[in-house]
Order: sequence, then structure tokens, then C-alpha cells
Amino acid sequence: MRRDSSSLEKLLENPHLWRGHGQAHTVPGLSSGYEALDRHLPGGGWPQCSLTEILVEHYGIGELRLLMPALATLSAEHGNTENANYAEPGWIAWVAPPFQPYPPALQQWGINLSRMLIVRPKNDSEMLWSAEQALSSGTCAAVLLWPDALDDQASRRLQLAAEKGNSWAIAFRPPMARTEPSAAALRIELLSSGEGTRLHILKSRGGRPAVLHDVI
Amino acid sequence: MSTARHHRSNRGLFDQHSLALEEPRAEPQAVTAPVLKRLWFCIYLPKLSLEASGPGGEARAVVVEQQGIHRVLLASTKAEAAGIMPGQSANAALALLPMLHVEPRSEIAEQQALENLSCWLEQFTSVVCFADTDVLLVEIAGSLRLYGGLLSLRQQIAAGLEQQGFSALLAIAPTPLAATWLAKSGRRACIRDTANIATALRTVPLTCLDWPNAVCESLSGMGIRNIGDCLRLPREGFARRFGPRRLIELDRALGRLPDPRTSWRAPERFCADYEMTEEQSDRELLLAICRELLLSLERFLLTRQLGVQRLLFSFFHLRGPATQLQLGCTEPERLADRWFDLLRIRFEKLTLPEPVISVRLRGGHSQAVRAETRRLRFQGKAAGQGLRFSMTQLAERLIARVGNQSVAGVTTVAEHRPQLAWRSQGLLSGKKGNTVSAMRMGLRRPLWILPEPVLLPVDQGYPLHQGRLRILEGPERLETGWWDEDGIARDYYTAVNPRGMHMWVFRNRSHNASWYLHGFFG
Repeated sequence: MRRDSSSLEKLLENPHLWRGHGQAHTVPGLSSGYEALDRHLPGGGWPQCSLTEILVEHYGIGELRLLMPALATLSAEHGNTENANYAEPGWIAWVAPPFQPYPPALQQWGINLSRMLIVRPKNDSEMLWSAEQALSSGTCAAVLLWPDALDDQASRRLQLAAEKGNSWAIAFRPPMARTEPSAAALRIELLSSGEGTRLHILKSRGGRPAVLHDVI
Repeated sequence: MSTARHHRSNRGLFDQHSLALEEPRAEPQAVTAPVLKRLWFCIYLPKLSLEASGPGGEARAVVVEQQGIHRVLLASTKAEAAGIMPGQSANAALALLPMLHVEPRSEIAEQQALENLSCWLEQFTSVVCFADTDVLLVEIAGSLRLYGGLLSLRQQIAAGLEQQGFSALLAIAPTPLAATWLAKSGRRACIRDTANIATALRTVPLTCLDWPNAVCESLSGMGIRNIGDCLRLPREGFARRFGPRRLIELDRALGRLPDPRTSWRAPERFCADYEMTEEQSDRELLLAICRELLLSLERFLLTRQLGVQRLLFSFFHLRGPATQLQLGCTEPERLADRWFDLLRIRFEKLTLPEPVISVRLRGGHSQAVRAETRRLRFQGKAAGQGLRFSMTQLAERLIARVGNQSVAGVTTVAEHRPQLAWRSQGLLSGKKGNTVSAMRMGLRRPLWILPEPVLLPVDQGYPLHQGRLRILEGPERLETGWWDEDGIARDYYTAVNPRGMHMWVFRNRSHNASWYLHGFFG
């Protein structure tokens, strides 16, 4: 026993050995408002200052409901005290949404409508440019975007812009994107059927993949 | 009247009621209300016609046509050194100095130069007057304290004039005419007290007074050469002989009669051109020119404490219509850097069909800039990371690239019809925030709404959308708007299809009762 533990300690001292966790909890996340999800996310919530990808096959399966409590917190007049990054309530930018986000419903979810910014770019390059501008400006707390295609380089740029502007990028992508590499800190897939919606955590920086049922 | 003795001269005829002594009207001391003390700063630009048209370093001469002969009006220092004198014919001047640059006088350029100078002078005072084609009058009594006293102010103005390439003669006096005459006579006078005007003007020759030649000649024929001589003449006789106007002018100069002046106001709209000597298609160069124009716009707006929301750049071509580029800002803005930032985004996409020969910048309606106190950022992350740019700047950048129609905020409207319960709100409109409180709504509203309801196919009475729909909640009856064209009578349901999509569907209560899809519960 004793020999075993000492050899383990010796092994851990080896600088070539990289330990995956440890760095995970340095940054607290933003609570998603869904307890089951928060438990599985490193930092106990959505990772901020980074890119989150949500893979959805259809609209209307809860992809926005998943975000609403967190967005309501970000846009709230007084903000939450732990998140002192935003001296003023943050703006929430919607870049190239597939339909019109419906203000009365947003209000039902507690979103501050005076902080909504809806951008409808004409093409994909304008879309990425707008998202990058919004992310790096430092005024937007969250930027939701619906790109037609998002390659590795573009996702890296979004990730960097989010870090720079202290913002949160959320990209909605089709399930095919699952096989494409991405710089996102968190990738989630929503799978729905008549019975309900399952949530797959595909990639989570500092966390583990998981499958969650009936989160929303 | 006792001082009459001092002015007793050999011209006894004029002694008794001389100009200097008699008050114009009979109530001299009755009103002793505090008179607003004024101090006029006169800027006389004797070489304006030369300096307005170009830099003074070369051998240049400005000519005017007199009786069919071009005669030199003014010559630069270098030309004068070569013996060129005002009044010489242009041919003679060219014979003396073949390399001489001869230009016709441009009164438009002179006027423009005066206006530019007035714009610049407006930083020192709010009262700038055009007294003559080459004389500017500035009222400075109210500015003395701010600019550190008379000498300091005088020095600042003199230095500024010199820097802009103008040789000016300056004089300060409590009345505008006295200041003008003193400046024209070349005396660097600085009089603060009305009582001292007469003494200072005494030796000023009558040629500085802009009086008609006939008047000056007949006066000099009488041996009267300066103002001092003139003041010794009797009032009535002087007025009868030379016209009451001359008398009034003298009284005004001495401060006995008021001399109201209308202050020149700078135009409220900015418009400036940049003319190029040849056509240019180098985009970097054009951008640099635009930047120059924006900087002059900034100076223009800064002196007026104004900002503009819209700008229009026109790029003129030799042939064909000008290319226009319009820029907009969410709130009145004057900083050249911010405008330039927006311009660069737009300019990238601008196609210029031809090379450009000149650029014009026109400012929109200018508005007062609202000064705002910013929130102090003390410590923590916010202080260190800071904002790269504010929301308005972000919106402007997005609008510049994506277009005004494509960037918007949203707000709710107190209205039960779902398609009218919201509207988008332009970010440039300046209206902020959403004041309509949430309606008490029994049922949930979908997060996504379709612009127009979509008719759903029906299979055995069940609506279809990627499978048969199952009703979860409802109905919620909305029957309203009968008073206008868009009245509705609908039963709304929440439905789900086999793929798990939650939808907001409705059925018209009219006879055909079709199913429509109106939104998704995202």
C-alpha cells in the first residue's frame, strides 16, 4: 500500500503528466437556470467569455428555452453581483436569427427588451463580421448567431472575440457539424422526439461528455 | 466747455463750437446707467488679396484691370525686392521679373479667407463682424478674463494669424471705428478707456478713414490732414459742408454715439470641398482626403458645440454623375475619428466608376451635443478591460456595413393581436427602452414568430407539419380588432409534432376553419 501511494505521488510530480481537471473550476460559469444541466457543466453553469455551440436539427425543440434564464440574468437591469464585468446591463445580440424572436415571449421569460439587438446580415461573411464586432465590442453580454457554415478558423475567431470582449457567443448549428472540428468551449446537441428532448454534452472544456434527459 | 482754450488755434473762425467739444445732444449726464463696456479688437489685413490666394514665399503679384490695363495691386515681399510696385502695369512688372507669378484678384477667395478667419476667431468671442473687405472686428471685453488678460489674448490672436499666413495690423479701442482707424494707420494702439480715444486718434491721417476722395482733398486743401485737425472744426459747418454722415462717424469713433454692429454668424451646416489638381483613383489617398475634411468638420462643430447625425460625401468625376456616400450616427457626433471609422467600413464597399477630381463633405442638420457624465469605473475587471466601444458605436458600425434596415431593437406594443403585439425599433431613432409592461397573458407565447401565418395541410382533421400534430394546450381565443381591417377571430393551440417541435398553431373561427402555423416554442 505504502509503496503504491508513493509511486503514484512520484508519478504525479512528473511535469510531463498533464492533468485535465484542476483548471476547470477556475472560472465560475453563469447558471443556466436548469439544475441538472448546471451539475454537468464545469464551473456550475454556462462557460462565459467563450464560444458555445448548440447543435439542433429542428427549431422549436427548446433550443432557446435552454438559454432564456441565463439571458434574462445577463440583460437584467441590475445584473447579478458576482458578474461584475458589466457595469451596465449587457446587450443581447441576435445575428441572423431564422425567424423573428417574439418580444412578448421574451418578456415572459424576463428578458429586458431594451437590450435586444437584432442584426440581419445579407450573407455569411457579413454575419461573421457582425458577430465578431458585437462580441469584441465589450457591450454585448451574449451574441446568438445562426451561421450557415462555420469552419474551424471562424469558430476560433469567434472564440477569441468572445474572450477579448468578455462576451458569450452561442452558435446554433445543424447536427452535421458534429464531425467538424471546432474551437468551442462547450458543444451541446439537442435531440428531440415526440416524448421529449435529450441533451448531449459533446464537448466541454474541463468537463465530461454526458447525456441528460428531460432537462427542459 | 472749458477745454476750448486748449484747442485755440490760428483758425479763430472755428473756435467756438468746435467738433471735439460739443456734445451731439443735450442730455449728457442725465442717464448714468452702467454702460456695458466694450472693447473692439480690429484686424486689418492689408495684404489679404495676396495672402488669400496662396502662400507668400514666392515672387507673386495680384493684378486688377483698370481702364483696360492690368495693374499690380499688391506684390509679395520677394517681388517688391525686385522693384515691383503697386500701380505698375503687369507688363512692366513682368519685364522687371520674368519669373513673376501674376494672378488676377479673386474676391471670392478673399471672402472665403475672411470667413475662415471668422470661424477661427469665434473661439475667442461670440461677436465677430465684417467691417470691410479687409477688416475684421472682434469684440473681446467678455473674453479677457478667460484668455488671461488683454496682452495674452492679443498675443494669441496675433500668433494665430501669423501661423495662418496673414500679415495683420492690430489695434484695440472701445469703439469699432476708432479701432479700425488706428489699425489702418498702422499704430499698434491699445486703448481701454473711452476718454483716451480722442488723444489717440489725433494724429491718425484722414486717408485711413475711408472717406470719399473729394472730401479728403477739400479737407487737405484746408490744411486738415489728420483727425485731430478735424475735431477742431465747428460741428454745424462741418456737417453742412461734408455731410452729416462724416460727423456721425466721428462721434461714433469717439464713443459719443452708439455704433451697433451685427455679428457675423457662421453657417450652421458644414460644407467643404477638396479640389484636386488631377484625377485620382488611389483609394488610400481619397481616404486621407476624407479624413482631412472630417477634421475640418470636427473643428467646425467644436467651435459651435454642435454635432451632426448624418454626413454626405460626394465624389465628383470629370464625366458622369458624382458618387454619393451617406453616413449615419445614432446621436449627434463630431469626433472625426468616429466618423472616419464608419467611413472606412463603408468605403471598402464603395465602387467608384471613374477617377475622382474633387470630394465634397456636407454635414446634415447640426444639433446640440448632449454632454454626459459617465459612470466612474473604480476597480475590478471592468476598469482594466474597459469597453472597446459603446453600444451606439457598435450599432453605427453594424449599420454602416449591414444597412440601416437590418439592424434593429424590439419593443412590445399593448395589443392582443399577436402579429401587432411587437414592432422593431430603429436604433438611430434615439428612442430607447421598452415602456409597455407585459400584458397578463394566460398562455405562453412562442419565442419564434413567423412573419405571416402558414397554412397547414390537414389529414383526417389533424393539421400536419412534418407529421401529425398533437394538441398540448388550448384553445386560447383571440377575437379582437373588429374595429379595423385586420380583425381576427382565432383559437390558438400549443401543439407538438412527432419530431418534438413545439408549435403555436391557430384555427380561424370562420366557416372554413383552416389550421395555420404561427410560431415555434424555441
